[in-house]
Amino acid sequence: MTDSASAKTSDGPNVQAAIDKFIAVTGSQVAAYLDACIHCGQCAQACHFHEVTHDPKYVPANKLVPITKVYKRHKAPFAALKRAIGLAPAELTADDLTEWQELLYDSCTMCGRCTVVCPMGIDIASIVGLSRQAMVAAGLGPADLMEAAENARTKGSPLGMTAQVLSDRIEWLADDFEVEIPLDKKKADVLVTLSSIEMMKYPDSVVAMARLMNASGVDWTFSSHGYEATNFGILSGKSDVAKIMIERLTGAAEELGAKTVIIPECGHAYGAMRWSAAGILGRPLPFEVLHITEFVAQQIKAGKLKLKKMGDAITYHDPCQVSRRGGAAEDARTILNAFASDFREMEPTGNNNWCCGGGGGVQAMASASDLRHKVFRIKTEQVDKTGAQSLVSACANCRLTMDESKVALDWHTDIKSLVELVADQLEDA
Amino acid sequence: MTLLQFVQGPLWYFASAVFVLGVLWRLIAMVMIGKPRDLSAARTSSFGGGIKAILLHSVPHGGNLARTIYHFLVGYAFHIGLFVLVLFAAPHVRFIEERLLGWAWTPVPGWGFALAAQFAFAGLILLYIRRLTDPVMRKLSDWDDHIGTWLVFLVMLTGCLALQESHDGLRLIHLLSVEALMIYFPFSRLMHAFTFAFSRYNTGATYGRRGVTP
Amino acid sequence: MVDVRRSVSGLARGLAPIALFLMLALQILAPSLAEAQSSVRAPGNAVVNAVPPPMGSAPDTATQGTPPGDALGNSSDSESWRKIRQGVPGHVNNTDAYGSRGALIESSGENWRLWRNDYVVRYGGMVLLGVLTILAVFFAIRGRMRISGGRTGKVIPRFSLVERITHWFVAILFVFLGTSGLIILFGKLLLLPLIGPKAFGLFASASLEGHNLFGPIFAVAILALFFVFVRGNGYKFIDLVWAIKGGGFFGGHPSSGRYNFGEKSWFWWATICGIALTLTGFAMLLPEIAASVSTALVGPEMTGRLFLQFAHLVHAVAAIAFIAFGIGHIYLGTVGMEGALEGMTRGYVDENWAKEHHDLWYEEHKAHAVTDTVKAETEAAAGHV
Repeated sequence: MTDSASAKTSDGPNVQAAIDKFIAVTGSQVAAYLDACIHCGQCAQACHFHEVTHDPKYVPANKLVPITKVYKRHKAPFAALKRAIGLAPAELTADDLTEWQELLYDSCTMCGRCTVVCPMGIDIASIVGLSRQAMVAAGLGPADLMEAAENARTKGSPLGMTAQVLSDRIEWLADDFEVEIPLDKKKADVLVTLSSIEMMKYPDSVVAMARLMNASGVDWTFSSHGYEATNFGILSGKSDVAKIMIERLTGAAEELGAKTVIIPECGHAYGAMRWSAAGILGRPLPFEVLHITEFVAQQIKAGKLKLKKMGDAITYHDPCQVSRRGGAAEDARTILNAFASDFREMEPTGNNNWCCGGGGGVQAMASASDLRHKVFRIKTEQVDKTGAQSLVSACANCRLTMDESKVALDWHTDIKSLVELVADQLEDA
Repeated sequence: MTLLQFVQGPLWYFASAVFVLGVLWRLIAMVMIGKPRDLSAARTSSFGGGIKAILLHSVPHGGNLARTIYHFLVGYAFHIGLFVLVLFAAPHVRFIEERLLGWAWTPVPGWGFALAAQFAFAGLILLYIRRLTDPVMRKLSDWDDHIGTWLVFLVMLTGCLALQESHDGLRLIHLLSVEALMIYFPFSRLMHAFTFAFSRYNTGATYGRRGVTP
Repeated sequence: MVDVRRSVSGLARGLAPIALFLMLALQILAPSLAEAQSSVRAPGNAVVNAVPPPMGSAPDTATQGTPPGDALGNSSDSESWRKIRQGVPGHVNNTDAYGSRGALIESSGENWRLWRNDYVVRYGGMVLLGVLTILAVFFAIRGRMRISGGRTGKVIPRFSLVERITHWFVAILFVFLGTSGLIILFGKLLLLPLIGPKAFGLFASASLEGHNLFGPIFAVAILALFFVFVRGNGYKFIDLVWAIKGGGFFGGHPSSGRYNFGEKSWFWWATICGIALTLTGFAMLLPEIAASVSTALVGPEMTGRLFLQFAHLVHAVAAIAFIAFGIGHIYLGTVGMEGALEGMTRGYVDENWAKEHHDLWYEEHKAHAVTDTVKAETEAAAGHV
C-alpha cells in the first residue's frame, strides 16, 4: 500500500488502511514490546507532557493503545483463538484514531525518556514513529507535518528551500561573512548537509560550520543534489518521503565519492541518517555518518582545531536524538571541556535529559504550541538551578523550540548553538 | 474418580500442558514474526547492549529512583516473596522432588515462608490498590490486569490457607486455583514473566548498537 | 459518577470470579468432604494422643504404674477428683515445661476455657449483634443521610494517595483477619452445627493459617495507619461540643475540623485496639519467646501458659471492640451517608458535604474547590489536601 492511497475518504479516516499499516509495521521486536507492557504507568514519571499536565491520557503507555489493539486482535499468537471466543480486543474504530491523533503527534516528541524508566525497557518512541505511519495511512497526519513533508518531496526542503535558494544563500553568506563555502565541488571527501531551519533562521550556524570545516582542513562541500538533512518523512510517518530524502543524500554523497557525510546541528536528522537510513534504503551506507559534534570532537582530539578558552557560565542541553537515542553524548562534552572553563551540567543531563518539548515534529505543529511552551518550564527550571548565563544546544530544532518557548514564558537566559560558540573560539578567528 | 483424583491427575496434566506449550508457542510465534535487519554501522556490540539492558532495567536508573520508588519497593517485595513461595515452600519442594524432578533443593524454614508470604501479600495488595487509585494506572488497566492479579492472589491465598496440610479439601482448592492460573497464563499479560527479557533485550540491542543503553 | 462506577466495576470484575470460584469449589467439595474420612489428618506438628483404656476394665498391673492421687482408700473419689480439677500436684510423670509439674488438669486452662466460652463468646456475640441491630434500626428510621442541599458539582481534595492506600491496606487486612478471627472464636458455636464437622474443620484450619500469616502484616499496617493519620486527630474543645450535641445524628450540625469527634475516637480506638491485638498476637505466634519474656517481667508465678491465656482473652476482647466500632465506621462510610465514600476512593469530597460535616476544614479548603474531578483527584493524589 502506498501513501498516495492514504487520502482521507469522504466518510472520515480510512480505518482499514490504518489497520493494515499497523499489522505491517509490527515486527517481532514491536510484538515483544506490546506483549511485555504490564500497565504499571511508571513511564508517566518520565514524560514531560504528563509531568506538566498530570493528565493521565499523556502517559506514554497509553500511546501504544491503537497498535496494541490491532496487534492483539489480528497478529498476536492465539489472536485467532481469542477472536473465536470473543476475548480479542474490539476492532479499531475511526473514533479511536481521531482521539489518538493528538497523543501520537502533538504530545510525543519521541525523545525516548520513557524507555529509561520502563521496567520492560519498551522503546515507546519507536512505536509512536511506526504508529504515525498508520495515522498517515488513515489520512490523519496533521496538516502542518504533511505540508512540511510534501515541501520536502517537491521543493527539496520542508521550509521550501529549493536548490536555487540554497545556492543564492550560500553565495550571500560567503560574501557577507568572508568565508569560503564550497558548493557542488566535483569530488570531495566530506559531504556536509544542513537543516533548512539553520539556513532560513540561523544562517550564522551555516557560516560557523563552514569555518570549522575549513579550519580542520578537510576536503568538503555542500551539494545541491542532496543538502536537506531533516527528514520529515520519518517524523510525519510518510515513509515514501522518508526514503526520497535518504536517497537524495546518499546519491549526492556517492556522486562526490564522499567517505563521510556530516549531519548539522539537528537531532532527528542524525537519527534518520545515522541509524534509520540503511534500513529504509535496504543496503548499508557506503560512507560514514557523523553528527557535527562528533566531527568537531574528533578534530579537537586530533589536535586539528585550536580553541581559545571562554569563561562564561554555560550549560548544555542534550538533543535527545543525539544523546539518549544517538549515543553521542560524550562528543559534546569533549568539545565543551576543550573551550569552556565554566561548563555546568544540568540535573538530570546526558542520556537522561529532559526534552525541549519540540522534537518529533512537534515544533512544526501549530496545534501543539501551547502544550510545548508549558513543557519548556521544566527546562527553564533546570537551567536556572545551574545559574548558567547561557543555554547551549547542538540542535537547531531544539534551539528554535527553546527560542519560541522562551518568549512565551518570558524567560531571559541566552540560547546558543554549540557550533557557533566553537567557531567563535577558533584561535585564528 | 473423585474430584481430588481428577484435580491431581488429568486436570493437572492438562493444565501443565497448556502452560508449557502455550508459553513456548507464544514466544516462538512472537519471534517468528521476524523484524527488519538493522543495516546501520554499529558503534558498539548489540549483544552486549542487550544483556546490559536486561540487567540495567531490573533497577531504577537515570535518576528516576525517587520518582518510581513505590513501584520499585512494592514490586520487588511482591516478586521476591512470590518466588520464595513458589520455589522454596516446603510442600512445593516436596512436590517438585516427588512428582517433577526426582530431586530437589532445601526448602525455607517455617519462619522464612511466613516472611515471604508477608512480603508477597503486602506487595500484591499495595500494587493492586495503586492500580485502583492512581489515575495513570486506572487509565491503562484493562480486564486482563484485574483477572491476572486476582488469580495470583487466589493462588497465594489458598496456598497459605492450606499450609497445615491437614485437609485434602484445602489442597484441592489450592490446586484448582493453580490450574486455573496455569491455563490462563499463556493467553494473558502474566506472560511478562518471560517477555520481559525479550523486550529489554530488543531495546538494549538496538541502542547498544548506537553505543548507549537507555 | 462514572469513575466511581469504574473502580467499583473493577473490583467487581475481580471479585466476581473469586466468589464464583469459591462457591463452585465448595459446592463440589461438600459431598467429597463428607465421605472422605481419610482426607482429614492430624497436623504434622500435632501431639498424637493414645486412647485411654475404657473405664472399669481390669488394670493390667504388670504394665501400669501407680494409680494417681495416692488413692489407697484414705480419701473419697470426689476428693481425689476435686484435687485433680484444682490442679494439685501429685506423683505424675508430667514434664510439661510451661505448666505446673505433676498436675493432671491444667486448672488455669480450664478456667480460661470457661472464660472464653461463657463470657467472651456470649457477651462478645451480644455486643456485635447489638451493634448490628442498632444500625439496622437507625437505618430504618433515619435512612441514608443525604447531603443537605444536594451536590454542588464542585469537589475539594480530601485524602492523599498515601492516606488512601494506607486506609485500604488496613481495611483489607481488617476484613480478612476479622473474618478468620470470628470463625476461630464463634465457628464452633455457629458454623459447626450448620456445615458439619468435616467442612468446619477445613474452615477452621484455613482460618487459623490465614490469621497467623496475615497477622504480622497487620502490625505493620496499623503502625503505618497511625503515622499517616495522626495529623489532625488530636482532641480539641470543639470535639466535646460535638459529642454533647450527639454529632448531629439526631438533627443539627455541630462544628468540626478535618476530623470530627467520632472520627478521632475511631482513630484512637483503632490505634489502641491495634496495639493490643499486635502485642497479644505476636505473643501467641511466638509462644516460647512470650513465655520467657512474661516470666522475666512478672516472675515465676506468671508461667508462659498463663500469660498466653491472658493474651488470648485480651486479643479476643480487643478484636470484638475493634470490630464493633469498625461496623459503625463501615456503615457510615458506605450506605449510611451520602458522599463519604468517594473521599477514600477518589480522594475528594463534594463542597456541600464538606460544609455540612467539616465546616472548619471546609473554610480552610474552599479555595481549592473545583468542578474538574480529574484535577481534584490529581491534586489529592499529589498530597495537596
